[in-house]
Amino acid sequence: MAELTTLDLRPGGQTAHVWEGGDANAPALLFLHPVTGIPRWGGALEALAADFHVIAPYQPGWGPAKDDLPGARDGLDLVLFNVDLLNTLGVESAHVAGLSIGAWIGAEIAAIRPDVVQSLTLINPLGLWSEQHPGEDIFAQHPGFPTAVLFTDPERRNELLMADRDPLDAYVTELLDLRASAKFMWPIPDTGVGRRLVRIDTRTLVATSEHDQVVAQEMGDIWRAAIPGAQSVVIDGAPHAADLEAPEAVAELIRSFALEGVTA
Amino acid sequence: MKFHWFHGMPWPHLPADFRARNRSVWVDADSRLYDPVEGGRLYHEYLDQLEFAERVGFDGLVVNEHHQNVFGLMPSPQLMAAALARRTSRAAIVLLGMSIALYRPATRAAEEIAMLDVLSGGRVVAGLPLGTPMDANFAYGANPAHFRDVYREHLDLMLRAWQDPDVFAWNGESVKLRYVNIWPRPIQRPHPPIWMPADGISSETWDLCAERGYAYVCLASRGLAPAQAAMDGFWSRVTAHGAPCNPYQGAVSQTIVVAQTDDEAQQRYQEHIDYTSRHTLDEFAGWTEAPGWRTERGIRERAAQTLATASVQRPSRVPTWNERIEAGSLAAGSPTTVAEQLEHLMSTLRAGHLIGVFHIGDMSHELTLSSTRLFAEQVIPRVRHLWDDHDDHWSPSPLASAYDRTTTREWVGVN
Repeated sequence: MAELTTLDLRPGGQTAHVWEGGDANAPALLFLHPVTGIPRWGGALEALAADFHVIAPYQPGWGPAKDDLPGARDGLDLVLFNVDLLNTLGVESAHVAGLSIGAWIGAEIAAIRPDVVQSLTLINPLGLWSEQHPGEDIFAQHPGFPTAVLFTDPERRNELLMADRDPLDAYVTELLDLRASAKFMWPIPDTGVGRRLVRIDTRTLVATSEHDQVVAQEMGDIWRAAIPGAQSVVIDGAPHAADLEAPEAVAELIRSFALEGVTA
Repeated sequence: MKFHWFHGMPWPHLPADFRARNRSVWVDADSRLYDPVEGGRLYHEYLDQLEFAERVGFDGLVVNEHHQNVFGLMPSPQLMAAALARRTSRAAIVLLGMSIALYRPATRAAEEIAMLDVLSGGRVVAGLPLGTPMDANFAYGANPAHFRDVYREHLDLMLRAWQDPDVFAWNGESVKLRYVNIWPRPIQRPHPPIWMPADGISSETWDLCAERGYAYVCLASRGLAPAQAAMDGFWSRVTAHGAPCNPYQGAVSQTIVVAQTDDEAQQRYQEHIDYTSRHTLDEFAGWTEAPGWRTERGIRERAAQTLATASVQRPSRVPTWNERIEAGSLAAGSPTTVAEQLEHLMSTLRAGHLIGVFHIGDMSHELTLSSTRLFAEQVIPRVRHLWDDHDDHWSPSPLASAYDRTTTREWVGVN
């Protein structure tokens, strides 16, 4: 069973809220959550914990770390947060898997600290911009159901993101998670990581979801072309929130690529 | 009471099928509908209306800032204020307001307000709102995640830039300046009066106004009940800070049309009121709440309302004339009727400054002037007495007499 713990990071003492699950002696997996954070332990994380020592932190600004957003000014601060977390946990290197905004953070870590990344799986990555493939604006959505566009159907948001939580708290968290995303992706998701992708020398898989309204499948090709030796796949039937709507497929994708180098 | 004449400067020529072809009048409305030659004619007509308002006795002339907006063709209210400063001599010039968080460095906003204050002989009101997500975030690209922090920093920088006589350094998150030392400085000391417009429930704005003694401006265009909730919230904060509830610390904006009789008012003005409503109905919701625009406290305050409206059908028809009047979102009728409506509105909200919206949508120049004149001659005298027992500390303190330009104008051959 997994545990949500609060840690003081070395150096500096910044606080991290992190889910840990699986056998501590299994291969380490740093799981970098999407725009919607980690609503609960379960799904893809639980499936991954069968094979990995899963380390899934809330990035500064998300979930219980909502008040830590001012301390993270840019991508470099997020890289240092995750590297310091691994350092604090005594993990020298890990497989890294990121979804959505988490994929951008994962790519930044691999470009800046390649020594800590054993393999890199980027799913529905935000962080590059193409005028030809802008996708839906995740920040210009109806305030009553602001993340519905990330799902195949608005009802799936209610079932997968809002269920089992106090409705008001879940809604506030949803908006504050979007606020954190906006800090790094407003007004268009051009983070500058495109200049650094060429530095990535870790084996990398880029996956896009078939029904993602935010990250067009063509963006997967753009990411793959920018990262030396990267491969790409499509997740059938999934939307942007692939971790919530297609948890088994996402877990299997990460597991088979990280541990076996298989991309099918 | 004080009476101010507001102009939003709308585009009055939207086609009947506008709603079918555009999801919004803001941010992404089809710019091919705008004609710059007609736009120039309209600017002059609108400025003439503002000048007329001073001539017939209004206390203030109000301009505001919007971007990429069909109903607000004033991206820079300062430009219109500058034109008014040259062509008027008595009325306050109310910037309502400048979106100061969009100016980098914010000293530019402080400089322009100081310029206007000097040019107008100390007649400027500095309305300094947070703004709207449509203008600030979606049209101007400002990041909503820390927009409120930027706004507070810019406000503080402007206040110090107006008041500190010495050169100082500003090492902020948004602005870093080694040498702050603006020229010119405002005539009004320590600075022009500050007004804060806010739409709807915004306890953070109430606190800011109550803490610092700024005037709070509430919009009654959504009806009396929401305006009262907003104004009551503000006055409760003022009381909590131990200050007296001086009505002149409160301003209310209201749409106003006046004719000789109630029936004639409806006959003359209803189509113009409907023009605006018809085109703004069912506004694109995606622009209204940029993530981070509200703090967690603000989200919680609005959440019940938002959660409720998310599952409710949005309005599908324009409210009727009588529905508007009953809701208090429109003051309309004969001078007697309008005076009664406004006396009720301003006493209920305990507000001393009335900001009247007299030009609505596609209303003609002639109708606008007619309604304005009737209001000035037959409504203002009936309502002026309200709050006579309070002093107004939130209006400008202009020079005792306007600059004498007679000689210089004679020399250049201008009367």
